Amino acid sequence: MTPTPTPAGGATAPPAGRLHRLLPALGRAGVLAVRRLGLLVTLLAAAFAAVALLPGDAANATSERGETTTDTAARRAALGLDRPLAERFWDWMTGLPTGDLGTTAHGQPVTSVLAGPLPNTLLLGGLALAASLLGALALGGWAALRPGGRLDRTIAVLATAAFALPEFVLSIGLLLVFSLWTGWLPAVTLTGADGAPASWDMLALPALALALPQIGWNTRIARAALADQAALPHVRAAVLDGLPRYRILTHHMLPGALPAVAIATATSAGMLLGGAVVVETLFNYPGIGNVLAGAIADRDTPLVAGVVAATGAAISTLLLCADLIRERVLGERP
Amino acid sequence: MGVTRRQLLWAGAGIGAAGALAACSSGTGEPRNAAPTGAAGEQPRTGGTLKVGALGRASAITRDPHGTQANESDYLIISLLYDTLAIPGDKTNTAPRLAASWKPSDDLKTWRFTLADGAKFHDDTPVTADDVVWSLKRLRNTPAGKSRLPGIQPEGIKAEDAKTVVLVSDYPNAELPLLTRLTTFVLKKDTKDDAIAGAPGTGPFKLDWYRDGNARLVRNDDWYGGKPPLDAIEVRIFESPQAMANALLAGQIDLASNVGAVAARTAEARKDVQILRRPNDMAMPIVMRTADGPFADARVREALKLAVDRDAMVKQVLSGYGSVANDILGTGDPAFARDIPQRKRDLDKARQLLADAGFDTGKTYDLITTEDIAGLAESATLFATQAREAGVKINVVKQESKVFWDATWLKAPLYTSYWGTNDSVVFLSSKTMVSDSGMNETGWNEPAFDETYRKAMATSDTTERAKLLHQLQEIEYAKSGYLLWGMADGIDLAGSAVRGLPKLPGYGRVQLEKAWLAR
Repeated sequence: MTPTPTPAGGATAPPAGRLHRLLPALGRAGVLAVRRLGLLVTLLAAAFAAVALLPGDAANATSERGETTTDTAARRAALGLDRPLAERFWDWMTGLPTGDLGTTAHGQPVTSVLAGPLPNTLLLGGLALAASLLGALALGGWAALRPGGRLDRTIAVLATAAFALPEFVLSIGLLLVFSLWTGWLPAVTLTGADGAPASWDMLALPALALALPQIGWNTRIARAALADQAALPHVRAAVLDGLPRYRILTHHMLPGALPAVAIATATSAGMLLGGAVVVETLFNYPGIGNVLAGAIADRDTPLVAGVVAATGAAISTLLLCADLIRERVLGERP
Repeated sequence: MGVTRRQLLWAGAGIGAAGALAACSSGTGEPRNAAPTGAAGEQPRTGGTLKVGALGRASAITRDPHGTQANESDYLIISLLYDTLAIPGDKTNTAPRLAASWKPSDDLKTWRFTLADGAKFHDDTPVTADDVVWSLKRLRNTPAGKSRLPGIQPEGIKAEDAKTVVLVSDYPNAELPLLTRLTTFVLKKDTKDDAIAGAPGTGPFKLDWYRDGNARLVRNDDWYGGKPPLDAIEVRIFESPQAMANALLAGQIDLASNVGAVAARTAEARKDVQILRRPNDMAMPIVMRTADGPFADARVREALKLAVDRDAMVKQVLSGYGSVANDILGTGDPAFARDIPQRKRDLDKARQLLADAGFDTGKTYDLITTEDIAGLAESATLFATQAREAGVKINVVKQESKVFWDATWLKAPLYTSYWGTNDSVVFLSSKTMVSDSGMNETGWNEPAFDETYRKAMATSDTTERAKLLHQLQEIEYAKSGYLLWGMADGIDLAGSAVRGLPKLPGYGRVQLEKAWLAR
């Protein structure tokens, strides 16, 4: 995680003497931010529309057997579901800046439903993301040290295999091996009084299940980006100069490969949060994936939109950081 | 550490033996703390925390005792904290709880409930009839209130004196106390809606903490029903039965409540896990519309009832965790008519009946089902195969749950349904078979049935009523639109040390106040 924000911070806080260069940079960052924001709003509109397209609505999805149609109609009105979709979307969007995410179909404020699970998912996702970034850089770099060697090929095969494995299969495998057979790690996460996992080792299996496929994917990206760098004249020159291989990797190849790795990592964040729905259910992790699955089943539009907004904002921030890194590294030579 | 040693000594002592004996033998033998599974007659031991897993979805969490409790975990927590007037029972299907007794008027319309002596809230204030009246009215005024307390108007809920609550029914109802078993949770009068979450209850356990559907509850030493053995119960919410089973197999929880047949099969190989079966838990009838359509002729319905291979259904759909049923709902009722002969597969007779009725065997009929509960869709598929052997072509249509409840339920000629409360013939008759019932799934209008039902509900003499209830079941057996092939067991998994777990089906699964730990 740590390498990502540093160059971005550098881009926004250069020495005061170079104001004439700062303004365009800020402008570019602003444009990127607006673009990401626009994408997020589109995404939210799509979420609203998608829930509306599903059969049934929140009023009958949360009704009890035995409720009359008038009861259901009354709740439909109470939930505001009798109003046009565009109007509901607008109401919800205008509440957003004030931090009001609306009320769920079960009558709870969306913010309070998300208050517990969202930090848990960000923690799990953050751990998995850090693991996938570090794992990918280590493996990709290791493979790039001896291009075409046996190690390089082994890593390539393993990386592809890891990425091809569905989270579901991977999770069951990890669960069997590390919990049910050996008893090394807890099988599921139990929630403590503070809403967080009761002990830290409960994070290990779900984080691993999420990270492994992404390590596979990002390793391939990192390896390819490093290979591109290896072909550049300044790296060749460094090799001819007889610099240590490790130093060439960290000082000459890695900086140039960073934009590609950053983009891949940011993209991974999206994949991670998608995988979280499956992984959280299998490991009973008290995260947002469980909330989302239930919210869709209940046609609970405000809650679905709340989850999308929260995760979308997290992913958009990461993507923006990745954009800024690319801007910083490649910006001067378009 | 002292507690543990005393517990071990108790284990060495065996049933009802004196503590002195235990003290003597303690020096020599190894204490046996893994008593044989489910051994009867053990002395309940106090102490310990029972960790319970229960199913629920994070998005549907509710803490309102009178709300829509879609989550089993929520219902479990609520029923440990709060008491209903009555609860599902063993020998009689309604057993006393917060109401110690009840008595009807001669016309069976007015019922007087007397509150249990010594009942008080967790904040030490005594429970009064006013609290109960307020709570029942609050329940009655919820959207589903009318079907939760059918025949009782809000004005018909009154306090007679500090300990007596009166319920007045619009019509004679000999089994009115049955209505008070499930959601009549009692809160203090005038509890504000925003204070519901932390409102004190009267139940066997008090709230220690609650978070996102998980809770820790501690023993209520002053509970009027007797001191529960456990120190505490921790309830953990599980989205998937699979994760819950894994948690139990890994020893993270002591009890996986209502985890299902698949988990039971996985656990069969494990000697250290108890598989507990609560019979008559879930009915999954095939519903044939009687009002109109291809199954309106009673002979056609009987033909299908003869076409199903009940043993094969139980074995394959329920993995054997269930029992064969006889087309009468309410199999767990003490009044269930066991003497009516079991209907068995008879393909020749089925074909004959179809021919007599002029049933069109050239057509294919849709059987609509959902995946709401485990095994439901599978039951439809297997039944379709079996019906084909009797010459009836059935095409199974799987519908998304919301569409099903909107468009198919109560309307389609052939679909699957399910009922989780199966300990009362009267309950299901009143809900689904009397012609003007709100959930008349089969569109049934059988004057003889209606008449017998009303007579039974207006009869105070118990032998006479039992006779009428038997007649009611005979009519149901002969003509109703329900093909009830079997009953699924409720299945819990428990660690080897857990004792005193509930054996009742349905909502009886939450009765954990007698549970204890042999360790």
